[in-house]
Amino acid sequence: MMTGMERLSAAINGTPADRIPVFCNLLDQGAKELGLSIEEYYKSGENVAEAQLKMRAKYGYDCLWSLFYVGKEAELLGCSKMIYAKDGPPNVGEMIIKKYDDIAKLQVPDDITSHPAFAEELKCLRILKAEAGGKYPICAYLTASMTMPALLMGIEKWMQMLMMGPNDLRDELLAKCSDFFQKQIAAYRAAGADVLVYSNPFGSTDFIPRKFFNELSLPWMERDLSPGGTNGIVYYCGSARFNNVIEAVINRLGIGVFYLSPMDDIAEGKRLVAGRGLTCGVINDIMLLEWSKEQIRSEVKRMIEAGKPGGKFLFGTLVMPYNIPEENIRTMLEAAYEYGRFDTP
Amino acid sequence: MLEQVMNQYNEAIMDTDRDRALHVVRDALGLEISPEEVVFKIVVPAIELMMKSISENQGVSLAQHFMAAQIASEVVDEMVPQFKKAPEIVGKVVIGTSRGDFHGLGKRIVSGCLKAMMIEVTDLGLNVAPERFVDEALAQDAQVIAISSMMVHTAKGENGCLRVRQLLKEQELEKRIRIAVGGAPYRFDPELYKSVGADAWAENGITAGRVITDLIREVRK
Repeated sequence: MMTGMERLSAAINGTPADRIPVFCNLLDQGAKELGLSIEEYYKSGENVAEAQLKMRAKYGYDCLWSLFYVGKEAELLGCSKMIYAKDGPPNVGEMIIKKYDDIAKLQVPDDITSHPAFAEELKCLRILKAEAGGKYPICAYLTASMTMPALLMGIEKWMQMLMMGPNDLRDELLAKCSDFFQKQIAAYRAAGADVLVYSNPFGSTDFIPRKFFNELSLPWMERDLSPGGTNGIVYYCGSARFNNVIEAVINRLGIGVFYLSPMDDIAEGKRLVAGRGLTCGVINDIMLLEWSKEQIRSEVKRMIEAGKPGGKFLFGTLVMPYNIPEENIRTMLEAAYEYGRFDTP
Repeated sequence: MLEQVMNQYNEAIMDTDRDRALHVVRDALGLEISPEEVVFKIVVPAIELMMKSISENQGVSLAQHFMAAQIASEVVDEMVPQFKKAPEIVGKVVIGTSRGDFHGLGKRIVSGCLKAMMIEVTDLGLNVAPERFVDEALAQDAQVIAISSMMVHTAKGENGCLRVRQLLKEQELEKRIRIAVGGAPYRFDPELYKSVGADAWAENGITAGRVITDLIREVRK
């Protein structure tokens, strides 16, 4: 049987495999797996690594996550208050940038690897690497400079600044966020992350007009990615659609993996990528809270039929809400393994 | 003349050019277009046009929604004091994000649109307790409670819309007050609003204006 890493490599290179790779983003569910509250669970890198390994072995999918929760990045930049829920991801509970003067005070740590908030993630990555390195791709999550300010000042204030200025302060903040991104990605690469999910809803024209995408998003993404290149980078805009920027992302940034929105047309996405990279079809996993077994199987079948022909396709999930029943997770995955199988000659 | 100004204003809105949009309406006053006409024949139709573009899937971005609402709100603030008589208020709404939710963009877009439609909005901010939604709706004599949630657990959680519905029921306020919801989870599950006990949902901040106006009409019937 092939490993997750072999399946991913085969999908990227267009070589034979037993089935398409299947990525399942189970994060907060790790707490349930270890019988802990979400707050307790995220206190330790050992917890996260242990649960990630357990859940992957239990369900048989092809990836592991070093991500704790998205707000972790705000902690690295000075946020000291997270709001924990009992059935969902932690939220940033304090905006570091409350007024524009705070932008000048924002400090990007020289060495983020020595930051206490990063130490637990590093611990997690090291365990995952030791236990499953080379067999299952280890995913890290990084917020692009264009989106990071939403975690630091709130999306409402960031949208206002982005659209209405002052532009000098906007660019000062973006430069700091891009510097932070460059340090963070270098740290993840050094620690052995294989897949670097580059999260940028502001890289989608669902969020900003095409003019802003061309004039702001693209140049800032170029700056983010220029020192380390695009090896291992996955283009991801949250739940926002991005089929209509795929050509620009390939040509300007050289990114080769596209993690579509559940709202994107998978067949159209594949046609646009045109064999130049890996297309990832993403299920609307919020519906896994409601769908019947038959509905889940039918949706997985539809998606895989749209994406699998010709290979270079991966099946993935989006946010995977905490309360999805285990049975529904299994139904989705079993359908993905079944419909994603390649016939052996 | 009015049509020409409308076109100029709409172009500025779609280009997210606030300064140009404000310039267009200020110039319009010099062209014998009244402040009332600026609001009701230029600003409100521009929002309606954006609703139409969204419904026809013409690729209008969140930033364009935001700017349309922002500019509408600013124009209304500038024009209403110049009205010959105070405008008639269509209704009242209290708005906020659900308990545990800190995403305020959606409610800001909704608030801007409602203001242009002469609906009074009381913004309760982020992370609002269900009891506060109901208490404030009563205090303001609001017809609608609008709850924005960007995460599944804050949309479906027991301290969100579900609890607001329960409180309205317990206090026998369901005929007087309607609940509207919005945010990402509702877009990914269009039936979700029913299971959390809302009366209606809106796919985005701009169309929320229409949804909430309809709910106000229902209550006032």
